[in-house]
Amino acid sequence: MFDIDKAISNWLKSLRKHRAFDDGEIREMELHIRDHIEDLMSEGLSKKEAFDKAISEFGEVSEMAQEEFTTQRRKPTIKSFLFSTMLNNYTKTSYRRLLKHPVSSLINILGIAIAIGICVLVYSFGFWVENIDQHHENKDNVYLTTAFINRSGKMQQWGISPRPIGEMMKEDFQQIQNVCRIQENNVVIKLDDKVFQESISFVDPSYLQIFTFPLSDGYPSSLNDKSSIILSTDMAKKYFGENNPIGQDLLVTFNSNEKKAFKVTGVAKKFPSTHAIGFDFLINYGNLDIALPNYNPDDWTQSIGATLIQVKDQEQLAAIDQGMEKYKQLQNAAMEDWKVDSFKFEQLATLYQRSPDINKTISSRYYNTNKMAHNILTILAIFMLALASVNYINISIATAAKRLKEIALRKTIGANRIMVVFQHLTENILTTVLALILGMAFGKFILVPWFEYQNGYSSGFYILDINLWLYLGGVMLVTALISGLYPSLYISSFQAVNIFRGKVKFGKGNLVTKGLLGFQLILSSILIVCAIMFTENGTYLRERSWGYNPSSVLYAQVDNWSSYDKFRNNMQQYANVQLVSGGSDHIGVHKSLKVLRQQEKEFEVSSIMIDPNYLELMGLQIVRGRDFAKSLTADKYSLIVNEKFIEQLSIKNPIDEVFEIDSAKYTIVGVVKDFHYSTFSNEIEPMIFMLADEENYRSIVLKVAQGTEMESLGNLKKEWASLFPEVPFRGGLQEDVWGGYFASLKWHGEFWRMIAYVTVFMAALGLFGLISLNVSGRVKEFSIKKVLGARILHLGKNIVNDYMWLFTLSIILGAPISYYLVGFFFDMVYPYHIPSNFGSVIISGTILIVVLWAVVSILLVRVAKSNPVIGLKEE
Amino acid sequence: MAISKNLTAASTKPIILGILKQGNSYGYLIIKKIKELSGGKMKYSDGMLYPVLHRLEKEGLIISNWVMEDDSVRPRKYYEITELGKQELLQEQAQWFQVNSVLDAIWNVKPTNS
Repeated sequence: MFDIDKAISNWLKSLRKHRAFDDGEIREMELHIRDHIEDLMSEGLSKKEAFDKAISEFGEVSEMAQEEFTTQRRKPTIKSFLFSTMLNNYTKTSYRRLLKHPVSSLINILGIAIAIGICVLVYSFGFWVENIDQHHENKDNVYLTTAFINRSGKMQQWGISPRPIGEMMKEDFQQIQNVCRIQENNVVIKLDDKVFQESISFVDPSYLQIFTFPLSDGYPSSLNDKSSIILSTDMAKKYFGENNPIGQDLLVTFNSNEKKAFKVTGVAKKFPSTHAIGFDFLINYGNLDIALPNYNPDDWTQSIGATLIQVKDQEQLAAIDQGMEKYKQLQNAAMEDWKVDSFKFEQLATLYQRSPDINKTISSRYYNTNKMAHNILTILAIFMLALASVNYINISIATAAKRLKEIALRKTIGANRIMVVFQHLTENILTTVLALILGMAFGKFILVPWFEYQNGYSSGFYILDINLWLYLGGVMLVTALISGLYPSLYISSFQAVNIFRGKVKFGKGNLVTKGLLGFQLILSSILIVCAIMFTENGTYLRERSWGYNPSSVLYAQVDNWSSYDKFRNNMQQYANVQLVSGGSDHIGVHKSLKVLRQQEKEFEVSSIMIDPNYLELMGLQIVRGRDFAKSLTADKYSLIVNEKFIEQLSIKNPIDEVFEIDSAKYTIVGVVKDFHYSTFSNEIEPMIFMLADEENYRSIVLKVAQGTEMESLGNLKKEWASLFPEVPFRGGLQEDVWGGYFASLKWHGEFWRMIAYVTVFMAALGLFGLISLNVSGRVKEFSIKKVLGARILHLGKNIVNDYMWLFTLSIILGAPISYYLVGFFFDMVYPYHIPSNFGSVIISGTILIVVLWAVVSILLVRVAKSNPVIGLKEE
Repeated sequence: MAISKNLTAASTKPIILGILKQGNSYGYLIIKKIKELSGGKMKYSDGMLYPVLHRLEKEGLIISNWVMEDDSVRPRKYYEITELGKQELLQEQAQWFQVNSVLDAIWNVKPTNS
């Protein structure tokens, strides 16, 4: 029996298959058929006949579906054209391609993601550097008073200012709204049984108006009160933990005679991570007359840390500038050897950038260093992007061989060249977008935290920063274009007909691919050499001689001769203490500046004032003349200088040369071998040693028996605590003085090794992509060779041979380039460093060849495992 | 003699609009009417009507409505001509008259002896 419902529902299924009609339309047609069948049956036809007739009169479904489709597309707009047809189709094929070639897609995405991660790091670092001290609301109207001083013919800019100048300027210029004087001194602060050495800032109450440091507790106006103290967040935590510090008393010891209790009346909010200017404790400037003996506010021979002025608007500054002549004369009359050439006002907004050129400023002097680090990172990011793009280009071209037919087909059904290019770029953009997301996460959560942790800063950049996205968007666009344009132009250039005929052959002979691979190898070789050099440099500098012997030397700072004397007597009772010395300065801790005169000439030189045991204790070598006589007075007017001093003053026979210092005549009695006062990141400077006056003793130095350093340090601290329970111990092992320096060297090595790993990894990825495509294109060749009995090693050589000459050429070209470039780079970064050596260049070449073989071996395993029969059967 | 496919296709639009101007109707009824009026000379496959109806609806010349009639067991999708549709029909009529008059003129002219 004919089931009409089943027949109809079958017919409807065929209708649905075409996907041209929606449910309502299908229902409409079903009703049509049913009406028709009903009519036909009423004319006397059987169910089956009626159904067949109705269906046949209804006509071809596919024709209708086609017609319906054209109905749906009746109104083409540019938008619908782009989105509904082209992009849809392109993203779909692009997406499919990504999934179909997971290895090359992964290589591309990973490479670009790593590069983008580094870009995020560059951005965050730049963000930090450029935002330092930009949070002050009055930054454009606040100026630091600086002075240009002519020292031995050289102009120096100083951030300190004469003591009375602030008060006078405030009275003389009505344009000045606010003046703030700042003087930082070292004090001892005591709370209950806690005693700490601290730096305290004596400031005018306008400090908190001039700078934007909001308080979390208390009132800024409390600074008017001379016994109030305002704390930074860190200090509040250090002294009071979680307790509320407001209203608590802190005992401040200014010097051995003066102590004063201060009441905490304010706590500052946490300073932004981008601050160079800051404070630990603020007290009223008026307290200086307690802290300094015989304080005279009108003394032009004295200077203070900083004098800042605030004006209503910047144009008023010119008038003030002109009125500064008066102060210059006052200053120059008071100070013979500190003659001011001119005063200059430095704007707070640009103070951080200007600070590297200013001596003793309240800002930090690291701008240039940071800027250089930023530039190096930028170059690295560009290198990485270049590497990733090269990988992308090479892999695209290599895979093109496999998709020639696809391209030919697209062209045949009407795609023009632009469309093929477009399709290819879509793929590229999809890849970069994926890489962008991955790279963003890599940068934000791994690279930036690691870098900030190692460098001890916090950039405070946030992921929703619009500039970051603009920047990354730009980076992405450029990368996508650079890496995508050439391959897409190249691929789209083939003629469809030639592809179908099998006339187009390529892959092996592409010069651009080879050139790019060579470029990549050279880049890798430069970065590997860098990493090796930085690593070796750490060890090299660690072993470099300081010019003196810091081992088994302990030091401590003392307040004056009497505490030095007491401390020395106590320490000499210990058998382990071999030699004791002291003075007002100490290598690596403190030095002074002296002006030497000889006839009409003046020289500014660093001096170290010590007792006669010092040179022997520190292991400084006398190369000419003699050491100081072992008496505190015999050599009172003798000098011992270093080699650099003689070299710079070009003295042929230094012994018995006479110089005038502070109107007294001094004679050179000896010359010591050059030594590093500071770390190896500073050049050795001319130095002189003199005997210290008793009243200037500030440090004690001990040489102890080898192996007893830690024990002796314990004793040192114990004796100190029993002698001076009120004063915190400041001292330690001489070898630890530059601990931070070696930590930073180690970090340099670590950073560059990381970069080198990434580079090698990226080069390996690229190579892997290229060679695996090469291998998969030669399945038949390898299969035949295998069948004929070729050994696997032979096949390996076969593959390597294709690349060997390129490697050799790159290494030959890359070696001198890396040698000179890295040498140049090192000269820029380190004044003293390991000399460039070809050893590292050879190692880097070896690493690259090992990588080549490693990549080939991985692929050979695949070839070895494959069955030649299957390989030969392949289409 | 059957009317050619092209001509059928070209005339579908004015025919449908014309039928609907006489009153609302649904797909099956429309096709039935066309067949009656042409005496079976316009060879349609019934199904081809629907894409045309949908297109006209998209162009806003007609609108549709599902209606459940009291005397029927099935709902029907009724089409109704809009104002725009009526104007379109006038234009179509004018065009067809023009074509008609041109053809008339050509076929009625006697060849001149030159």
